[in-house]
Amino acid sequence: MQLRIHRPEVRRSRRLLGVTGALLVAALALTGCTTAPKTSTSKSPLKIGISLSLTGDFSDSGKAAERGYALWASEANKAGGVLGRKVALTIVDDASSPDQVVTNYTNLITQDKVDIVLGPFSSLLTVPASRVAARYHYSFIEPAGGGPAVFAQKLTNLFFVQPAPTTEGGNVFANYILSLPADQRPKTAAYAKLDDPFSAPIADNIQKRFEAAGIKTVYDQTYPAETADMTPIIAGIAAKNPDVVVGGTQEADAFAQIKAMIQQKFNPKWLYESNGANSPGDFPAAVGAANTEGVFSSADWYAESPAPGSKAFIAAYTAKYGGTADQIDPTSAEAYSAGTLLQEVAKKTGKIDNATIIKTLHSGVWPTLVGNLKWDQYGAPQGAYLLIQWINQKLTTVYPANKAQSSPVAPKPNWAG
Amino acid sequence: MHAVVQAIILGILTGGVYALMASGQTLIFGIMKVVNLAQGALVVLAAYLTYTLFTTLGIDPFVSILITTPLLFLVGVGLQWTLLRPLHGEDVAQLSLLVTFAIALAIEGTLSFAYGATLTNVGPSYANFSWTVLGYQVSFVRFVAFVLSLVMLGLLYLILQRTRFGRSVRATVQNPMSAQLLGVNANRVSAFGFGLGAATAAAAGSVFGMLNSFNPGSHYDLISRLLTIVVLGGLGSIGGSVIAALIMGVASSLVSALASPIWSDFTFFIVLLLVLLLRPRGLFGARTRGAL
Repeated sequence: MQLRIHRPEVRRSRRLLGVTGALLVAALALTGCTTAPKTSTSKSPLKIGISLSLTGDFSDSGKAAERGYALWASEANKAGGVLGRKVALTIVDDASSPDQVVTNYTNLITQDKVDIVLGPFSSLLTVPASRVAARYHYSFIEPAGGGPAVFAQKLTNLFFVQPAPTTEGGNVFANYILSLPADQRPKTAAYAKLDDPFSAPIADNIQKRFEAAGIKTVYDQTYPAETADMTPIIAGIAAKNPDVVVGGTQEADAFAQIKAMIQQKFNPKWLYESNGANSPGDFPAAVGAANTEGVFSSADWYAESPAPGSKAFIAAYTAKYGGTADQIDPTSAEAYSAGTLLQEVAKKTGKIDNATIIKTLHSGVWPTLVGNLKWDQYGAPQGAYLLIQWINQKLTTVYPANKAQSSPVAPKPNWAG
Repeated sequence: MHAVVQAIILGILTGGVYALMASGQTLIFGIMKVVNLAQGALVVLAAYLTYTLFTTLGIDPFVSILITTPLLFLVGVGLQWTLLRPLHGEDVAQLSLLVTFAIALAIEGTLSFAYGATLTNVGPSYANFSWTVLGYQVSFVRFVAFVLSLVMLGLLYLILQRTRFGRSVRATVQNPMSAQLLGVNANRVSAFGFGLGAATAAAAGSVFGMLNSFNPGSHYDLISRLLTIVVLGGLGSIGGSVIAALIMGVASSLVSALASPIWSDFTFFIVLLLVLLLRPRGLFGARTRGAL
C-alpha cells in the first residue's frame, strides 16, 4: 500500500524534483546516454484519490475514515490487489473546508489523474465533492455524506455506503414499536430534537409514524445546538410522564439528556437516542456503564455487529492500529466498506473503471460490513439501520428479528443512579 | 405549578455555577479594564485538570479544587505578567481583547493536542445523584456547586474587604493614579487580580466538568454566556454578576420548561437589551469607577 499525504510543502518539493528530473533527462539526451525504457510485466497500480478532513472540525472522524481506507488498501494488497493491480491511495487534507475539498478532488482527477475517487467526511463536504466527480464522469462511492442535501442533487454517480439516508436512521425503532401488539405499545410519546439537519428529522420521521399509529404526542420540542443544560427540557418531559422518549440527538446532547433523566429520576418505558447512545466507549463513560441498560439507538456497524466479515475487520484493524474493538469508530468501517465495494464490482464484472462501477452498483444487492446495500437512482440506500439496545452493558442488535442477537428489553430497567 | 417551581430550582442552581465563573471575569475587568475572553478557556482548562486528576490519581473532583485553584492562580499571574503587562498606550483595552482571545485559542489548541476533540466528562459515582425534596429533584452536584459558589464568592468578598491586598485592589479600581501615588504597587495588584480571577475558574471548572460533557471547543459557548452575564450585571460589579447569573439561570430554565428551549437563550438577550436600554451601565454598574 502506498499512502501519500499531500501537504503543500510536499507538493512544492515534488514540483522541484520534477523540474530537476526534466533537466537531468534533457542533459542525458544531449550527451546521448539515454537508457532503454524499463519494461515491466506488472500491471499499473490502481490509483485511488480521497480528500479527508485530517485537520479542522471533522478531524477526529476524518482520521477514522483515513484508518478505514488505509486498512482496506493494505488488506486488498495483501490479497493481490484489485484485478491484480496494487491499490495506491492518495489522501489529501481538506481541513474540513467545503472550498478546499473542491480543489482537492479537481487536482486528484486532473493533475494526479487517479483512476477512482472515494468520498470525504460529512455531508457538508460530500455535496461539493460529488459535483466535481460528476463533472468528470467519475463514480463517487462515499461513506459519510447521508444528509438530504446529498440526495437532493440527483446525481447518478453517487453511492452512499450506509444502510439508509441519515434522516431515516430511526425508522427501525418505529418499525419495532409498531410491530408490538396494540395493547403493549406505548400510548404517549415525547420528542426532544436537536436543531440540525441530521438530528431533528430522524425524530420527525419517527413521530410521523407514531402519530399515524395513534401514539399521542405529549411533548415535542426542538432545542438549539448550544443548549448545554438539558435539565429544563427533561423536567418538562418528566411532568408529562410519557411512555416513550425519542431523542433526535448528536452526542453531547444525548449524554446530557440521559444525565438529566437520571437526576430527575425519570425513567420512561422506552428510550431511543438517535446518536450518542450508539457509541460503545464514550456513552458508558459519559453516563455511567450501569445507566446504559435498556437504552435504544441505531447503528450500521459496531463491535458486536453480526455482519459477515466483521470479526476479520476487527482483527485486521486492531493488528494494524492497536486498541480494542470498542474503540473502532463506525466511520472506519464505513470507509472500509466503500473500498470493498470496488473489489466486489471488480469480482463481478472483471473490470474496474468508473462507467462500470456506476452501471454495476445501480442493480443488485451488495454485502458490506455496514449491511446489504442497494441504492435508488440518486444513491440513497434502500435498507434500514439495525436497532441496537444496551443489554448487560453491551450493545446488542435487537431488531429486525432476522438479525437480532437478543429480543428487546422493555420496559426499560430503572436507572442505576 | 410543579414545573414552574422545579424550573426555578434548576435555574437558581445553574445560575450559581455561572456566577462563580462570571465573578472572576468581572473582577478582572474591574481592576484592569480588561475584558478577559480567556475566562471560558480557563474554566475548560480547569475541567481538564480535574479530569486528569480524577482519572489518573482518583482525586475527587471537589477535593481537586484545592489543587487546581492555586494552579490556576499561578497561570493567571503568569499570563498577566508575560502577555498583558507589556501592553501600553491608549488602546490597551482593545489590545487586551486580542491578547486574551489569543490566550483562549492557545489553551484550546493545547488541550486539543493533549486530549483530542472528543467529548469527555468527569464522572464520580455521585455525578447524577439527586435528592427528592417535597417531590422536587435537587441535583447533588448542582447543590454543592451552588453552595461552593457562595463560599468562593464569600471568600472573594473577604479578600477584597478585609485584607491589605483587597484594599489596594479597591483603591486601584476607584482611581489607579491616586492609588499609585499612595504607594500601591499597580503591577502587583493587576497580576494578583488576574490570578484571583483565573482562580475562580478552577472551582467552576471542576463543577462544569461534572455537569456537562465538554471538549476543548466548549469555551466559545461559555464565554458568550459569561460576557452577557457580566454586561447585564454591570461591568466590574461582582454582586451584579451574581444577580445577573441567577436571572439568566432562572429565565433560561423557566422559558425552556414552559415555552420552548429555542426561546430560552433568546429571552435572556431580550432581558439584557431591555436593561441596557433603560440602564446602559447594567444592573449594578456604578456611575463612578469603584463598583466592587
